[in-house]
This record gives sequence, structure tokens and C-alpha cells, in this order.
Amino acid sequence: MQNPYVPIPVVVDKIITEVDTKDIKTFRLAFQNKQDEENFKYIPGQFAELSVFGKGESPIGIASSPTQKGYIEFTVQRAGLVTSFLHEMEEGTHMGVRGPLGNSWPIEFLEGKNIVVVGGGFAFTTLRSLINYMIHGDNRKRFGNITVIYGARNPGLLIYKDELKEWEKRDDLNINVTVDKGDDTWKGREGFVPAVCREVAPSSDNAVAVICGPPIMIRFTLPVFFDLKFSKENIITSLEMRMKCGIGKCGRCNVGHKYVCKDGPVFSLAELDKLTKEY
Amino acid sequence: MEKRLIKKDVLAGIVGKIAGDVNLVAPVKEEDNVLFELVKDGVTALSSYRNTKNAPKAFFFPRSETLMRYTRKEKGYEFTGLGEDVSGQTVIFGVRPCDARSFVILDLLFDQDKYKDPYYIEKRANTTVVAVGCTKPPYSTCFCTSVDGSPMSTEGADVFLTDLGESYLAEFLTDKGEKLLKYFGDAKADAGAEKKKEEIAQAAAKEIKKTIPAHEIKAWLDANFEHPFWETVHKKCLACGTCTFMCPTCHCFDIQDEVKAADGKRIRNWDSCMFPLFTRETSGHNPRTSQKERWRQRFMHKFRYYVDMFGPIACVGCGRCVMSCPVNIDIRKIAEDISKL
Repeated sequence: MQNPYVPIPVVVDKIITEVDTKDIKTFRLAFQNKQDEENFKYIPGQFAELSVFGKGESPIGIASSPTQKGYIEFTVQRAGLVTSFLHEMEEGTHMGVRGPLGNSWPIEFLEGKNIVVVGGGFAFTTLRSLINYMIHGDNRKRFGNITVIYGARNPGLLIYKDELKEWEKRDDLNINVTVDKGDDTWKGREGFVPAVCREVAPSSDNAVAVICGPPIMIRFTLPVFFDLKFSKENIITSLEMRMKCGIGKCGRCNVGHKYVCKDGPVFSLAELDKLTKEY
Repeated sequence: MEKRLIKKDVLAGIVGKIAGDVNLVAPVKEEDNVLFELVKDGVTALSSYRNTKNAPKAFFFPRSETLMRYTRKEKGYEFTGLGEDVSGQTVIFGVRPCDARSFVILDLLFDQDKYKDPYYIEKRANTTVVAVGCTKPPYSTCFCTSVDGSPMSTEGADVFLTDLGESYLAEFLTDKGEKLLKYFGDAKADAGAEKKKEEIAQAAAKEIKKTIPAHEIKAWLDANFEHPFWETVHKKCLACGTCTFMCPTCHCFDIQDEVKAADGKRIRNWDSCMFPLFTRETSGHNPRTSQKERWRQRFMHKFRYYVDMFGPIACVGCGRCVMSCPVNIDIRKIAEDISKL
């Protein structure tokens, strides 16, 4: 019987500091055993428990795309016991990963449709996974137009800055990066994500919006998409809850009779409407 | 199915023999309480008792359990092995029918198709459950008949004993149970013994005076996550968590790491939805901000969510939470009150 509580051994291959405040870093993890790498089959939107013996575990969305071979990436904000430890780590450290866990962005449902990706601040990690997956040469044809709207409070807080620049050079991707407030060197767009969504006004025709961000952004962004006539079935988001086991047993991340760790974290607004409002 | 009839005075000898061969867990007297414990030399397993203070779930899902061990190496800790060896065979003797049903209910959670909990499943597979029917339901707080159980339900039992007065009827219900046949002698049960058991079962079920509308309230629960009634349930709750720790079906747990010098272990401990920290996130956000939300969660989990997820109600009607709540919150009364709304 496979033991779902035992972490897969990995080594920290690379650490990238993403933001000026230095409290968000991306950890590139390589598997210690080749077989584990082959077995770790994931889909964008899934997460894993980052496991640090002596400290505990933290559920974090997978930020890399399965099209990137040889490693998995996680972008982590320094917040609690485990994430603070992660931020103190050096490259070469041995740690563990449990996963992949949870459902995923509904790739089959997204196929053949125009995709609008909306992200805010640090909640852009599994969206980045989705974007990299969709724009990969093997997959790009499976999706229609891809529009990305991504915002942060200021230019220094944008994550994946180099990648954003690369994406801007592509002609098969409409990317709109915005900051609430620019600085002296910022030449890009200024404005809150909801306002930029209204300005970009993606068509709801055969389109799905995939939205992730802080609650305040979600609150003001959803009405924009309702105005654009996106149905609740075609607005998809991802929930966060305190988790421990990650496999629907320890009993703390339920929303009604659904466990966010096992039945989520990805839900459409139509699905969320059917659940209790407790998240 | 094999059935045996055994004289009452030989039961203690049978239990003693089993204890000599395998681990035996049975009700023992511990100061003023009767508790399920691993029977060691010099301890007598009780043959006459009402029910145990503690639920026997702890022998499959311990209060504190090592999941794995690890040790410090140059580049970080490395996994070195799992927790305690649980490969030994165990017999749990004297489980009441309500508690035996709790195992079946917990199996649904710990032994799912996709994610199996090896710690629970292994102990469960290595354990034979000998249940003793409640010929006289022990407490006024018993309400098993309202939640699909009965004082003589054999669900979850491998061997089922019925007190017929002079002797016990022993029914060997599963392959695991039949492995214990050798201890029970050759006296086969006759039709008379079975008829007597039937009569006792019918009389016992009538002895459960308290019934609650456990199924009837489901529709209300489905429709009323938000309702002023929830403002009233938790008012006197101290958030002590006793109800969840006594409950035979509560299964929530926490996972923690403990390190001493170079060696560490990852442990899971019982946790409780009654505690504010249970759902509090690192950011400080808590989806269940007050005891109101926590009580609603506990009640909904048992009578609505578990039903939606797996079928049965996650309550066996043992009454432990009713008896042990320090401020007399009565889950039966909550169900009744809801049925009147």
C-alpha cells in the first residue's frame, strides 16, 4: 500500500528571489530519485505539501508547468514556521514534497476555448503554470486566444518578471501587466486589476475566465466579468484553506461536504454557489 | 456462519487464553472508570460493565501516533522509517454494538479508493472485533436506534456475543472471527438459543427510550447553513473539545514534528473542530471565527456532510458526548430543536 504521508525526497536546485521585499521566493526542486520524477505526474492547478522535517508541511501550488522537465517549482511567501524555514534554506538542501494533490485547472474544459487569465499579487503561481502549459508548442493549438491580466501593488512586487518580459514578446498571447502605483522607472500600465479587466474587456464568447487573487481583488473583479456576460460555469478560481493531510482525512479544509485539498482547490463559481459560504 | 454456545463461567478462561496468544484489548477497571486498555498480566478484563468511558477507535487511530522518523544529515533531515510496528495481531474484546459500528463508519474515510491511510488500515486488518450485544441498554443517554444502529446490531463485529442468561451465544460473522473458533469449544448453538436471542434483541431495542429525528433533519440542514438557530447552540460551549475526543467517529487530526538532538519524528494527534486554531490560517484569516461556526461544523459534519460524502450519519448514538459535556450541551436536543423549526 502506498503511504500518502511519506514525502518524496527532493533537493533544492535553485532559489530565485522574486520581489524587492525579498519575502517571496521561487524554489526549484529536483527529485533525488529518477523514478519519483517519472511518477510525479501533475496538471496545472494542483498543489503539493512542501515538507521540512523538524518544522512540518505547507500546502503550496505548483508554479512550474508539467511541460518543464526535470524539476518542479514552488513560489512561496514567507509567513509561518515552514515557509520561514524555506526562506532560510540554501541551494543543495534536502527536503520533501508530498503530491501532486488536489484537482487541477479543468484543462479538457478549457480546450478549444478563449482563455482569460486574471491574477493579482502573489496569487499568480498556478496561473503561471497554466499559462506556460498552454503556450507550450505541443499545446498552444489546443486553446483559442489567451489573454492575461496580471497586477501587483507596485513594480517591485510583480513575480516572474523575466518571464513576463518574454511573454510580452509573443504574438500568440495578449498580456496586460499592471501595477496599482508605478515608480520612476515603470513605463507600463497603472491601475487596479478590476479596472484593467474592464478596459481590456475580453469577450465572453466561447471564453473562460480563470481568476486568482486576494479576496479584495476577486470581490471587485467578478462584477466586471458578470457585466461582460461570463457565466458562473465559465469563471474558475482556486481556494485556499488551512490544510494538514492534503488527502481529505484530517478534517479541517472542508467547505460543506467538499474538501478543498481533495475535491478542490479549483472550483467554478457555479460550483461554489452550491457550497456553504465558509472559506 | 458458525455459532457456539458457551457457559458463562468459561468466558473469563477464553479471554485469558486469547490474551496469552495475541494482544488483547478489553474493558478494565481504572479507578472509577471502565476503559478499553491493552490487557497486561495481573489485569482482569471485565465481563460485566456498561460501556467504556473511552471509545475504542483509539486502537486504530491513536490519540498520538508516529507517522515517520527522520534523522539529521549534512544537507538536511532524511527519512529513516515509519512509526511503531503494528504488525501484531490484536483482539478487541467486549466492544458494544454502537462502537463496533463506528469502525465501519471510520473505514469509509480512512480506506477510500484514492487515498488509503495505511496506519489505520493495517491496524484494522490485524484486529478482530469481539462485540457484546447490549441485552440491557446501559444508559438513558443511548440513542443508537435513531442513527441506524441497535443494541444488538452486529455491524462491524467479527464475533458477536449475546448474553442468554446462563450462557453466551457466540456468532462468528467473518473469516477473521472464525479464526477465534478454537477458543470457544464445540458446543454448537441450537435453534432455541437463536430464538432466545431474537426475543432479547426485540426487547432490548424497545428499552432504548430516547429517539431523535436524526434523518428527518437532513433536509433542514441542507437548506439552513445560515439560520438564527445556529446563534443559540454554542452559547454555553466552552470549546473544551471533550465531545470530539470522546466521540467514536470523530477523526480530525493535526500533524506535528518533534525533534530531539539529531532524531525527529512526525506525529499525528487528535485535533478538534471545536478549537479556534483548527482552521486559522497563517495570515490570521479564519473561516470559522466563533464557536457558532465551529458548532455548526460539528453538527453539520455528522448529520449532513458525512451523509453526503459516504452515506451514513457520523454518529452511533453512544451518548458519550452527552454524558461528558461539562456544560450539558446535548446533541440529541439540538436535533430535536431543529426538527421543530
